[in-house]
Amino acid sequence: MLSSLQNPRQAAAQLMNFGLILSTAFMMWKGLSVISDSPSPIVVVLSGSMEPAFQRGDLLLLWNRNFFSETNVGEIVVYNVKGKDIPIVHRVVRKFGAGPQAKLLTKGDNNAADDTELYARGQDYLNRKDIVGSVVGYMPFVGYVTIMLSEHPWLKTVMLGLMGLVVVLQRE
Amino acid sequence: MAEQLLDQARDIFEGQIDFEGQKLAELLLNVALTLVGAVACFVGYFLQDIKLAVYLALGGTAAVFVLVVPPWPFFNRNPVKWLPVGGTTPPANLVVDDKMFK
Amino acid sequence: MYSSIVRLQNTFGFFTTVAFAVACIIAASDLFSARTPSVGVLKTTNVQVVRGRPHYYSSKKEEYAIIRFSLDADLSSLFTWNTKQVFVYVTAEWPSAGGSGSGQNATNQAVIWDSIITSPSADHLANLGPVAMRKLRRSAAGKSIDPSRGRLSINNQRPKYQITHPSSKVANQEDVVLRLHYNVQPWVGILTWNPDEDFLKWKTLKGNLSRKFALPGLKKKDEGKTGTRS
Repeated sequence: MLSSLQNPRQAAAQLMNFGLILSTAFMMWKGLSVISDSPSPIVVVLSGSMEPAFQRGDLLLLWNRNFFSETNVGEIVVYNVKGKDIPIVHRVVRKFGAGPQAKLLTKGDNNAADDTELYARGQDYLNRKDIVGSVVGYMPFVGYVTIMLSEHPWLKTVMLGLMGLVVVLQRE
Repeated sequence: MAEQLLDQARDIFEGQIDFEGQKLAELLLNVALTLVGAVACFVGYFLQDIKLAVYLALGGTAAVFVLVVPPWPFFNRNPVKWLPVGGTTPPANLVVDDKMFK
Repeated sequence: MYSSIVRLQNTFGFFTTVAFAVACIIAASDLFSARTPSVGVLKTTNVQVVRGRPHYYSSKKEEYAIIRFSLDADLSSLFTWNTKQVFVYVTAEWPSAGGSGSGQNATNQAVIWDSIITSPSADHLANLGPVAMRKLRRSAAGKSIDPSRGRLSINNQRPKYQITHPSSKVANQEDVVLRLHYNVQPWVGILTWNPDEDFLKWKTLKGNLSRKFALPGLKKKDEGKTGTRS
């Protein structure tokens, strides 16, 4: 542990390595963001309103370009509502008109009613610009760690404790 | 006393194995885990049963953990033979860390 | 690999690699299973238009189309080991009135009925009561996949959703068609819808359009009420 502090060259190399890992992750995230044209190309499902298709903690890959066709009825989209910070993943069930002015209505598969109640006051439909991306890829369960850590903060303490134990028990 | 206890705990926790054992552990890990993945895929596909595939993969992975992580005796069959302490004087021109031993 | 903690880290690291590779193989296996769904019948059986309110406290009156339909389709080839559920839905589609700056082919699309068909591997996730859940699980006892669930035969089905238009007018609308779609939700991999063109071993869904029909004029109030209830 302390030996690295005595050797500045080694310490610098470790710092570089750490920075490299961080910047690679950031670069991949932003690269994916550019390719998919979506501000957050990978999202974790936070609610059960699309069950049984998506459970909490599932990972979704989003795509926000319309190469072959417009965003259509039946697609599962992630959208933002003015004044709410948490994006919502629901299915488009109605579409009136075409182009950027098309009116879209969404509904969660597991919900009885459509999303009119979830939209902003006075808003009856979504527009294309409200949509962050359409779900194209799916990976189950992988994002559950983030939900666990944010909902049970004591788990962070437990993890820190375990790391400390490892440091104490490890020999130089 | 506390130092001794900590030292014992460290010994158990560390689970050192010898060099031949490290080579064997690496080989076992790679081969066994790849095999587990392949078997899970094949069985799952031909029986069209994804639950079975997941159980096979997880069970197999647990078995690999048990096989590789603890310092089993078969990882310690080729202990390093150290030279006796203070037995012979070191060779005249032995170079260690760029420093001549004299 | 000299100490237990390093071996633990290495084993876990390689496990994630293998798990990712297995997930990719499972996702890719979808491409090698043929999808040949077919539609026997898709037709309307009874169409009504009634006046109503969007919700109880609204004073706004809107016209709602209630489209009953019959459907006969075989989607059994969509059920493989990587199928979590198939979302089947029927939309009603009609052209926009008088191209109000929204393009020539602008259409209106609204889902009138949908259904979630789970695979036996996902039955435990279905949103059902205990009795229906037991029945569902018993129907697939000992089976890992159950393609027979993909055979749909529905007669004179009441729509799940009564549809309207932002203009509140749907009565006497002409050139309306019903269209059947599906969305395959995998356990891992890409989500797929019915393709517009044949893609490798995935065939298009032929005959998924009904004949064109016109929505009738507004029903009188008392008639409309009995219509919605039946």
